[in-house]
Amino acid sequence: MNKLTSKHRKLAYVIAIIVLLIPVIWLGMPSTGEEGSGGELAKLRVKHELGESTLGDVDPSSASMNFVLLGLRGIATNMLWLDAKDYQEKKEWAKLRSTVDSIILLQPHYMKVWDFQGWNLAYNVSAEWDAVEDRYFWVKEGIKFLNEGVTRNERFPELDWKVGNLHGQKVGRSDEWKLFRKFYKVDPDTERFKDGPDPEINPERLDNYQVAKEQFLIANEKELKHKQHLQMRMLFRGSPWHAQFDYANAMQREGKFGKQRTDAWAQGFKDWTTIFGREEFITPKGPIVLEWTEDDIKNLAARDDNITEADVRHWINRYQDTSNYRFWRTRALSESETETIDAHKAIYDGEQLFRSGKFDEAKVQLEKGMALYALVLNKYPSLLSEDLAIEEGLQAVILWRYIHDLKGLQVPASFPLKPLWNKEQGRVPELENDLRRRYGIQ
Amino acid sequence: MSFDPIPYDLLDAFKHFFSVFGSTMLIAIVVCLIVGVLTRGMSGIGDVFRGILDFFVQITHVSCRRVWSLSILTVREALRQKILFVFIIFAVLFMFAGWFLSGAADRPDLQVQSYIDFVLKAISWLVIPIMLLLACWSLPEDIRLRTIHTVVTKPVYRIEIVMGRMLGFTLLGSAILLVMGTVGYIWINRQVPESAQYKLVSKVPVYGSISFTDREGAPTTAGINVGDIWMYRSYIEGATKARAVYKFKGIDESDAINDKLVLQSSFEAFRTHKGNMDKGGILYQFIFVNDEKNLRVPSRPLINKEYSDNVLEINRKLKDDNADGGAGEELDIFTDLVDKDGNLTVEVQCLEAGQLLGMARPDLFIRTPDHAFLSGYSKAVFGIWLPMVLVIMLGVTISCFVKGPVAILTTLTIVLVGFMSKEYMTELLSGQMQAAGAIEAWYRLITHMNSQTELPAGPVKFMIEIVDTGIINFLWLCQQIIPNFGVFSNMREYVIKGFDVSWDAALLPGIITTAAYILPCLLVSFYSLKLRELEAK
Repeated sequence: MNKLTSKHRKLAYVIAIIVLLIPVIWLGMPSTGEEGSGGELAKLRVKHELGESTLGDVDPSSASMNFVLLGLRGIATNMLWLDAKDYQEKKEWAKLRSTVDSIILLQPHYMKVWDFQGWNLAYNVSAEWDAVEDRYFWVKEGIKFLNEGVTRNERFPELDWKVGNLHGQKVGRSDEWKLFRKFYKVDPDTERFKDGPDPEINPERLDNYQVAKEQFLIANEKELKHKQHLQMRMLFRGSPWHAQFDYANAMQREGKFGKQRTDAWAQGFKDWTTIFGREEFITPKGPIVLEWTEDDIKNLAARDDNITEADVRHWINRYQDTSNYRFWRTRALSESETETIDAHKAIYDGEQLFRSGKFDEAKVQLEKGMALYALVLNKYPSLLSEDLAIEEGLQAVILWRYIHDLKGLQVPASFPLKPLWNKEQGRVPELENDLRRRYGIQ
Repeated sequence: MSFDPIPYDLLDAFKHFFSVFGSTMLIAIVVCLIVGVLTRGMSGIGDVFRGILDFFVQITHVSCRRVWSLSILTVREALRQKILFVFIIFAVLFMFAGWFLSGAADRPDLQVQSYIDFVLKAISWLVIPIMLLLACWSLPEDIRLRTIHTVVTKPVYRIEIVMGRMLGFTLLGSAILLVMGTVGYIWINRQVPESAQYKLVSKVPVYGSISFTDREGAPTTAGINVGDIWMYRSYIEGATKARAVYKFKGIDESDAINDKLVLQSSFEAFRTHKGNMDKGGILYQFIFVNDEKNLRVPSRPLINKEYSDNVLEINRKLKDDNADGGAGEELDIFTDLVDKDGNLTVEVQCLEAGQLLGMARPDLFIRTPDHAFLSGYSKAVFGIWLPMVLVIMLGVTISCFVKGPVAILTTLTIVLVGFMSKEYMTELLSGQMQAAGAIEAWYRLITHMNSQTELPAGPVKFMIEIVDTGIINFLWLCQQIIPNFGVFSNMREYVIKGFDVSWDAALLPGIITTAAYILPCLLVSFYSLKLRELEAK
């Protein structure tokens, strides 16, 4: 039997409470915000950047929701995720969007949730709609969603990269790219945006690839502090400069061959060789740079006794191959030359004339373009290692041959780009199908 | 639109009710007679019939005045328990809801759906659980505190005590619902932007039946499946003889709006190639068919805007440009195209080669003059009132024979199963699900056997089948007894989609479902209270 009196028992409880409070305070005392303040857990949170405020902007509703759900947020998230999937299958778009927002309230710092749902909205949901205006609306929803993810998560360069990728590839490379790029500068919701872009997407009325470049640069900046787990570091860091090339190339695709396009290629060459090319990347045999000189090789090899100059050359070559460095260097250089511009322009003009049914003029332009393009390829043979460069030449030949068929003419035995045509026969059927669809050729 | 308003079969419902109720009563009487004979000998038979008669005596002698007094007493007790604090939660929810809901998808037309959904869900999630707690807790608490003696010692029937509770809680719940419903209505109207106010209507549709023809023009059971996981819509191929044929019954001049026939469609497009992207949708047309007069009148080509309302207003006098040798002949929709039985046949044709148009029965309807948003909204609130009454009846009934906490758990389980698992139970019982038996599923799980493999013959299989049959039969019994709460949430869907709540597809099943439980609940609660020892705590 307990022989303690009621008074003694109460005293014992008080002492036990005080004793237990000591480790609780030591472990769990909240931080005052100053470095080194607070209990052990608070210090660990600061050290590993796990505090809510160090992760990104704090959403009070999200924090309170997680607090109310205690340990059940995982279950609640799973149930919402299943709901979202169900809404998507049943094409309940408004419910899908609000459910996705609810998921985010519960999992604001889980990168994959932002990544998957942002992509889902911009790609899958967008593709479910028939009108291009509606598709563009959902691409914007995906971008806005990921933007929100970026502000709430400071530590994920991957999210910034994904935002850049949506601005760049989704807007600029979709089937609907022509309209998407137009809507990017003049939103189809003209009543709301007064013949301008959606300010949440493109506040400065720039080209989509320019915005993509800015986003990739932010991602690169963050990547210096927080490791990304998306792709090989060198490829990740090359994204802004690829966006610059895409910007220049997009103008070309739209038939703009003026100074702005040439300047963009020149800027691309400069960025590629002086910024990306001079950045050090760590290989199994020490650091390398892609744009190298003999002095660089010597200096890099001299940093470690176990590394030879041959090792450095080997790894530079390997990394250059992986990033297609030499091709893009040559391409950017060649695109600033008059001969190349003329070749592109003649081929583009030929295609446009073909589209408007002026076959004789189209044939002349295509022949001119093919001849010039053959000269460019002879001068820069490394261009033949890239799909876009090959396909441009092959498309010109296909159209040119098709005009001969239409006019009942014999295709000459010899023509410019014949070596390319013979070498790349494997690509021709697919390109022919592509052109049939594009120009409505039966 | 993801719901298919199918008219309710009232006769079938009554047949089902009487078979379940009648057989249950019969079994109960037989059991009572056996128990009566075993415990009291032959006089037990007379006692059982006297007991049955007692219910009819009490129910025919119910005094409205006494029931009303007991109801008022119930309301007063509930108010003393600070029931009205629920309005604080309600107010907080509505004060901050705008923060969470606005910007969910910044298209005002999509936002309207979120607002209505939120209001109706918030009201039902607040009202129903609170009424459940009150209904389950009240009677057992009175018995525990012996305050029930102040009532039972007065000249009141037991059935009146039960009816008083049920009516009292229903009155209180109705008052709370009325206040919340009114506030919700004002909130929706204020929250929805001016540009989307036109969405706040209650459309009154007339649905038809649908059938399909294939690319050769031959009748077929369904259109093409384009690979959607959700096989709700069937697709017709463009620039072929494939058609979706809608037949509307009972069409006359009263269905016109300003002398115009209004057709509203929401078809889905499926492209096999990009086609012309600038138009904003693929082309289709309607063909009005009257076989009696050998008339086929096509509409002008229309552009299908996906996931939005495509409205076509057709003047009742239209020109039949395609009539053989009689270009420009004027026809009247209601006298020339509607046949003598009042049927209107509309064929839908996709006009673009290589593109497909998908549709289900509710995707095309004739829109008759709209009702005010308040009409649909108030019916949806009525759709919350009905399950609330059902929950009150179940709660009071169960609390007549078990204590408060057990009554709460039991009622909650019934409500949750009724809301969430009815479809699952139906699927299990329909026999479509493979390896549906509980023991069989458990056996397959631990032996890593998939559901396609036959169970090995032998005593194990025999035992599993015997036990599973028992479980399935018990499940069948549960399915018959547990109310289908799903019929009530359908009403919310109508208003969210901008429709008036259909009488025969939503309101009637809701009312009938609630009404079906009145008599069984009164019977069970009467005998439970009659047999219960009220002295026991």
